[in-house]
Amino acid sequence: MAIQTQPERAEPTGRGPEPAGAAARPWWMRPGAHTGLVGAVIGYFLGHWLGNFLGGDFARSGLSDTNDVAIVLGYAFGVIGWLAGLGVFNDLGRLMVGKPMPEEPRLLGLEEPGLAKYFRYTLDHKVVGIQYLYGMIGYFLTGGLFAMAIRSELLSPTYHLIGPEQYLMVVGEHGTMMMMMMSSVILGPFGQYFGPLLIGSKRVAFPRLEALGFWLTPAAYIVLLSAVVMGGFPTGWTGYEPLATQATQGMDAYFFAFGLMGISMILAGFNMIVTVINYRAPGMRWSRLPMFVWSMFTVSFLQVLAVPVLVGACYMGLEDRTFQTAFFTNQLGGSSYLYQNLFWFFGHPEVYILALPGFGVISEVVSVFCRKPLFGYKIAAAGMLGVGILSFFVWQHHLFMSGINPDMRPLFMLTTELISIPTGFIFLVGMGTFWRAKIRFSIPMLFALAFYFNFLIGGISGVFLSDVPADTTEHGSFFVMAHFHYTIMGGLIFAFMAGIYYWLPKMTGIKLNETLGRVHFWTMFIFFNTTFLPLFALGLMGMPRRVFEYARNLETLNDWVSISAFLLGGSILIFLINFVMSMLFWREPEVGNPWRARSLEWQLSTPPPPENFKRVPVILSSPYDYGVKDALPVADLDPPPGVIGAAYAPADAVEA
Amino acid sequence: MADTTSPVAAVQAEDEGFYHESALNAAWTGSRLAIGGLTFLFGAFLFAYFYLRSLNSSGRWQGSGYVPPSLWQGTVIMLLAEVSAGANYFGLQRIKAGSKSTWQISGLVALAFGLAAVAFQIYQLATLPFPPGSSGYSSVFTGFYPVFLTIQLAAMIWLEIVLARSRFIPAMSFVEQPPTIADTQDVQKFQANLSAFSATWNYLALMALLFWFLFYAL
Repeated sequence: MAIQTQPERAEPTGRGPEPAGAAARPWWMRPGAHTGLVGAVIGYFLGHWLGNFLGGDFARSGLSDTNDVAIVLGYAFGVIGWLAGLGVFNDLGRLMVGKPMPEEPRLLGLEEPGLAKYFRYTLDHKVVGIQYLYGMIGYFLTGGLFAMAIRSELLSPTYHLIGPEQYLMVVGEHGTMMMMMMSSVILGPFGQYFGPLLIGSKRVAFPRLEALGFWLTPAAYIVLLSAVVMGGFPTGWTGYEPLATQATQGMDAYFFAFGLMGISMILAGFNMIVTVINYRAPGMRWSRLPMFVWSMFTVSFLQVLAVPVLVGACYMGLEDRTFQTAFFTNQLGGSSYLYQNLFWFFGHPEVYILALPGFGVISEVVSVFCRKPLFGYKIAAAGMLGVGILSFFVWQHHLFMSGINPDMRPLFMLTTELISIPTGFIFLVGMGTFWRAKIRFSIPMLFALAFYFNFLIGGISGVFLSDVPADTTEHGSFFVMAHFHYTIMGGLIFAFMAGIYYWLPKMTGIKLNETLGRVHFWTMFIFFNTTFLPLFALGLMGMPRRVFEYARNLETLNDWVSISAFLLGGSILIFLINFVMSMLFWREPEVGNPWRARSLEWQLSTPPPPENFKRVPVILSSPYDYGVKDALPVADLDPPPGVIGAAYAPADAVEA
Repeated sequence: MADTTSPVAAVQAEDEGFYHESALNAAWTGSRLAIGGLTFLFGAFLFAYFYLRSLNSSGRWQGSGYVPPSLWQGTVIMLLAEVSAGANYFGLQRIKAGSKSTWQISGLVALAFGLAAVAFQIYQLATLPFPPGSSGYSSVFTGFYPVFLTIQLAAMIWLEIVLARSRFIPAMSFVEQPPTIADTQDVQKFQANLSAFSATWNYLALMALLFWFLFYAL
């Protein structure tokens, strides 16, 4: 079978057989986001009332007429109401009386016409992927607006727009929104949508958990934003103690939202791991697994193992603030260092939860646009696993300046430097693929090249910062901020953009405007660098983080950075215009295989049919065999009868 | 029973068989993965316990005038969880040998003891002899047990679902091959689900024992 360059469009399915029961009712009478909102409001007020009833004599803040117990119970009941309104618990009652799960029209979400399926607890992984895509773009834009507010204030060395407390609030909201919500920016849209397609599966292992993972993200987003009306939180994205215990009620929103998003991440990772292990098509050996799936697999392990510690830390923080425990209060037998240890045990794997999916997307893109097999495939896979494992052993480098035993510093400096080795593997795999390639400079490839450029700067500055003397000198300065923006925005977000331009035609059947896409790329690349490169210099010149005032001699450089940041915001606006206009008005169809890619998703119709594959495919070769003489097609999409049965049933059983 | 005589139906059955097999394996993988995730969650409390105990900030790991939680209450709660896990394990062996009714009885016993452990734990938390924030020990104690009992409660809901489902599976299906593929798959799904639950519940019983040792014996 040759690579299909123009697969057919999926047959229009129409309404199909008339759905029974709940599915036959009009959309507004069925569980969805609107009923979820009603449930959330009712739940919030119920929880709030209960909190006042239980903890009415607790200290009240001047910023609010309520107490922490009422707020946290309001959030908790609000989230339960939100999920109940969405219909998440509908099947539970059925199960508890022993009935099997109902026939699943929700598993075939894309079969349904209209947009209502995107606002419901739909179980089709492709619908969940698209829900994530729009959600993540919304969260990213919100975090970006907070960044614009920060840079607006920093146009002047003294207070002129927002005061010191509001500035801290904006910094905290920006940082938390980006670090917390963007954890799923690739695993959510592309991982959920393409993970099963890339392994040749018709379904995921736990569709309910997957959908629940998404629907927790809007709840976390709203809860985090609600901190703004309660005066925000002064701790930035790290929520350090003892400041967190001393802060006003906005801190409750931080802990609750981060914990909730943590549960979402665990659920998404859990489903991904089980799916990849058990639902791979026959012939999809580990040595043929697409690199994007390797990255999802590794990141999912980090999420399932590291994020529970964050959830525990957030829970302890909330307990201290509501139940009056003293986990983090030194005078009462607790320790603020305990929080730092727990937070960074999650926090450093979090950095790789953000970085590795970017490498996964880029690895797919470079092989396609270089028309070459991925160089050193096994080394890249080993690099992913190596980064994942080592990321659990470096967290103490975040505590170099917090008063840890100085004798411990060299050990964690060493582990931090070691992690650059597997990261380097993955990076060099890209370089090896570029070698003597006939590169096609399409938009996804441009973003991929920019990813490598940016990540190189971010990575090298990271190795520099891992050294104790450098860290102790630059800690808390703009130098550190420049470093992690180069890895996270320069890495993750550029990879996200590459993924959008690369995969959106497959997800929607519509391609983005090419000219605007190129304008978007060049403006984003240039203004990203003109914004963040000078921050290294500002950091070396002594500019501290999270402070709204600075020395007058730093004003010119700060003004340059602010203006660049606004232009960077403008480039995102160009993307947004392109996205909205292309999706809603221009709607230029792209139903084939525009990149002439070998990987499995591109061998399907566009958008993929409801069950992904007509039959369980049999994988025949690597997805990266570009230009390989006599390479087999990547899969047999319609294997003869008996082949699949032989793959899972022992020969004697088949004969019997 | 689906018509498997036509070629289309035959390949559909083949595909369904593939995903049925995958689902059985997913139950095994999922339960072990859940155990891994829970270990890290409990690990956060374990770390807090040893960190605060070794640090003894302001001399208040337990502090002066410390009154310990009731040993007999804690022991009874732990034993309830252990007996529940033991009963379930015994029943699992019996159902593997083909006796559905014995499993159902021991499953009900496991459910009753598990729910009793949860209820008694709530009672103990409501009548503790110390305020939650009086010391490092009291913080970890009053922080850990609400999480643990919530997870135990979720496990008991899982057991109730398994018990309820078992009512609709004929006892003979556990003794000999059911007459149809669909029935066979139903039994296999049930067994995979029960096996996954048992692994998780045994693990939670082990954790109950570990934290009892930390909070009451160490």
